[in-house]
Amino acid sequence: MLDLIIVGGGPAGVSAGIYAARKKINFLLITENFGGQSVVASEIQNWIGVKSISGFELAQKMEDHLRAQEDIQIEEGSVVEKIEKSGSGFKVILKNGKSFETRTILAATGGRRRRLGVPGEKNFDGKGVAYCSTCDAPMFSKKTVAVVGGGNSALGAIKDLSAYADKVYLFVRSETIKGDLVLLEDIKKDKKVKILFNSEITEILGDKFVKGVKYLDKKENEIVELPLDGVFVEIGSVPNSEFLGDLVNKNGYNEVVVDHKNQKTSHAGIWAAGDITDLPYRQNNISASDGIKAILSIKDFLNGNNK
Amino acid sequence: MEKKVKVYSTPTCFYCIKVKEFLDKNKIKYEEINVATDMKAREEMVKKSHQLGVPVVEIGHEIIVGFDRVAIEEALGLKK
Repeated sequence: MLDLIIVGGGPAGVSAGIYAARKKINFLLITENFGGQSVVASEIQNWIGVKSISGFELAQKMEDHLRAQEDIQIEEGSVVEKIEKSGSGFKVILKNGKSFETRTILAATGGRRRRLGVPGEKNFDGKGVAYCSTCDAPMFSKKTVAVVGGGNSALGAIKDLSAYADKVYLFVRSETIKGDLVLLEDIKKDKKVKILFNSEITEILGDKFVKGVKYLDKKENEIVELPLDGVFVEIGSVPNSEFLGDLVNKNGYNEVVVDHKNQKTSHAGIWAAGDITDLPYRQNNISASDGIKAILSIKDFLNGNNK
Repeated sequence: MEKKVKVYSTPTCFYCIKVKEFLDKNKIKYEEINVATDMKAREEMVKKSHQLGVPVVEIGHEIIVGFDRVAIEEALGLKK
């Protein structure tokens, strides 16, 4: 039986793996990919110790750092289907049919993209509705596109798109932008970009491909139709917490409720870290630190010091 | 007979890199097409896949959208 299974290969899972390896915990890390959600970011400027790095490069560096540890066991390309209680520990069952037994679990599977949830979004997914600007920005050269969102990932998407598109609209639900001011100042200088505050897309229109959107201008309280070719959705994430079932307490957003001192969930033996949890701020640096907190607490637990 | 494999991609696309890594690992030969610069290929891709997103993988006559490991394995007849 393993002492620990870490599920996830983003900043929380990888930092946990590095700390667990250095503490010689007998563990396995299971992940589909390395790097987490910002693997698709073209530029990350706030990862401490590095002035600027692409999401993909950061993912590779994380993986390299983890694999440089001795006696490491990794199941890459694998997804956990569910977890069952088993004797004094847990049985972790993968979608590919494999299963592993462990004394403790760290759930660090992060989140996946939040959808707008408006008519047309599903029909035009991949046909103008997009969730990866580093992937698909070149497909919209000389076109008109919209970005939805107000955080750093939305501002990053604008930068990616402005390099190709003729015109970029930013739809912000409220009156303010949550992203970093340094990014916003850059974008405000960009003549291709128009920011629409207090605006919410209510429908995505088109035939074979996206042809436009309808949005609610909340100040004027009217629905406006705007012709465009693409909509990039950057409105945050929803947690990948389904595999935990009812074993742990979750809040109304399906986020795993943890004690933020030590990342413990409501179920003894299960910890959670990063964007899967009910943490208020979603940042790579914060997820990395939460992963470490969890390992320090797990080590205490395995040593019999259940603080 | 070996099926012809084409990967339509853009240079900064993470999922495209993952598709190519996966094909390399399985020693599958493929033609890589950069639709960020090759406009003719882009039109061809959109026509075949009805998609404005990458990666698009063409295996024989089959079109697979995104990095769909299972679909790619099935199309290539790879068994784990």
